[in-house]
Amino acid sequence: MSSLVTAQGMSKRYGDVRAVDNVSFEIEKGKIMGLIGPNGAGKTTLLKAVLGLTDCEGQLSVLGLDPFRQRKQLMQNICFIADVAVLPRWIRVHQLLDFVAQTHPNFSRERAEEQLSRTKIKPNAKVKELSKGMVTQLHLSIIMAIDARLLILDEPTLGLDIIFRKEFYSHLLNDYFDGERTILITTHQVEEIENLLTDIMFINDGRILLDSSMEDIPSQFVEVMTSGENAEAARRLGPIYERDVFGKKVMVFENADREQLDALGETHTPSVADLFVAKVKGAAA
Amino acid sequence: MMNPIMHQLALVKRELWEHKSIYVAPAAVAVVSVLVILTGYVFVKGYEGAVELGITAGQNVLGEAERRAALMGFLVGNTAIYYFAAAILTIFYCLDALYAERKNKSILFWRSLPITDAETVISKLLTALIAIPVVTWVVVIAAHLVTLLFVSLFVEIEGGSAFFMIWKSAPIFDVWAANLVAMLSLPIWYSPLIGWFLFVSAWTKRSPLLVGFLPLVVVPLLEYFILRTTFVRDAIQSRFDQMPLISGDKVIRIFDNHDFGNVSESFSLFDLISVPQFLASPAMWAGVIVCALFCTAAIYVRRYRDDS
Repeated sequence: MSSLVTAQGMSKRYGDVRAVDNVSFEIEKGKIMGLIGPNGAGKTTLLKAVLGLTDCEGQLSVLGLDPFRQRKQLMQNICFIADVAVLPRWIRVHQLLDFVAQTHPNFSRERAEEQLSRTKIKPNAKVKELSKGMVTQLHLSIIMAIDARLLILDEPTLGLDIIFRKEFYSHLLNDYFDGERTILITTHQVEEIENLLTDIMFINDGRILLDSSMEDIPSQFVEVMTSGENAEAARRLGPIYERDVFGKKVMVFENADREQLDALGETHTPSVADLFVAKVKGAAA
Repeated sequence: MMNPIMHQLALVKRELWEHKSIYVAPAAVAVVSVLVILTGYVFVKGYEGAVELGITAGQNVLGEAERRAALMGFLVGNTAIYYFAAAILTIFYCLDALYAERKNKSILFWRSLPITDAETVISKLLTALIAIPVVTWVVVIAAHLVTLLFVSLFVEIEGGSAFFMIWKSAPIFDVWAANLVAMLSLPIWYSPLIGWFLFVSAWTKRSPLLVGFLPLVVVPLLEYFILRTTFVRDAIQSRFDQMPLISGDKVIRIFDNHDFGNVSESFSLFDLISVPQFLASPAMWAGVIVCALFCTAAIYVRRYRDDS
């Protein structure tokens, strides 16, 4: 079984609001999947369902388990960082390590201590005495010391400065990711993770707008910068999104004939951020 | 698969880390009570003659049984305040136990570990039922020892024999054993309230103290005004009647005799309590069932509640 997460017609309602609306997707082993969506798009609800923190309709299987009903078994093989605020503020670093060591069968205390020795975090410090960045380092050190098959990161770098964010991702890529593990990550700062993703999924209003591997993006999407008559011609080819840049038109096309577009202006592959805007705005238009 | 007992130990230990008041509160009571006793001695130092007389009488006139009774009364009186402190502590602990983790969002971290909601709620229940009484009891023993040491020192300075007057007669093991049983039984007897407070802690969105206590007053009133019955009131009130641990007939026998001078040397505090009677009490088991129902509800709420 190469697919770690499988969702079929999964929905989650809060009253009349459909936070996640009949979505189906798969996440395969060894992938780094970016889940991108605006606030309130259903990202967190989707992650919660995958983590077994909330019940949902439809079929959802994570590591072959029903996440809501088999949460304990699931948590032995999943790691999760919500955002920096969730480590209890009253706990001391060594107590935290003790506790995880006693409750998590796949946790290596030596590994966590080795990770922490590279930081300025003292074993006797309380979480509330640490800076926001250090709390994330601490959380990450624990997560990295857990031999998990799936790591879920929900806005892990929220509120951190750029240096910490860069370190966080390089750490993740160099020390954690080994091709055997799988990472599912959500963030607003798409540009920062663009290069490390293998797969990408856009979500808006509870629906999936795009589910693709990063390799396939260039063959699926193309952005043309054009003006004047060429712009008119390009517009007739049905761009999914159009915007103005310095008096020129920038249009994003999906599954278009690239050669045809090359003749109309300067073409290139859109960045994930631009593609995201195109898909979200395009879907709304 | 990790040993569930190891899990529980780790979880209860975590409760002690988080709720330092579990040991700080009884320790504070102990420090204050020892200080009060010390102040008392400084005060009686002013009555030199009377003290000497008292010690002479204590050594020569009083019999072993009276000395024992007096010391027992002293130790028991000294312990009462700890029960009060433990009761307050337990109430506040239970109301906070499943509320604080939601308030500070650390619940997301705890739930990211392979621990079930049932294990978590049970660990909080065990903390209230076992950890708080045992910690309190250990502090009581330490406080008794320190107090008796001070008294011994005082007696020796005043020319008496501390060994003869105190250590030979003080029924410390009897008092300690009886207190341990009583301290462990009380939370079981009041477990319906403990279960209720834990449930409130898991369930309420705000002010657990108010939500915890208001229904205890309002529900009996409503029941009376609407149904003209007093079932809930009686149920709550009967908890505060005599606890089935106290073996009533023996207590009555002592007080009926009005003859404390004749208390036998073998009189023991332990005689006043009956564990079999407690274990055979339907009221106690009914309470345990109510507690179990509230805890099950708390587990359910923690599992299904979705705060987003």
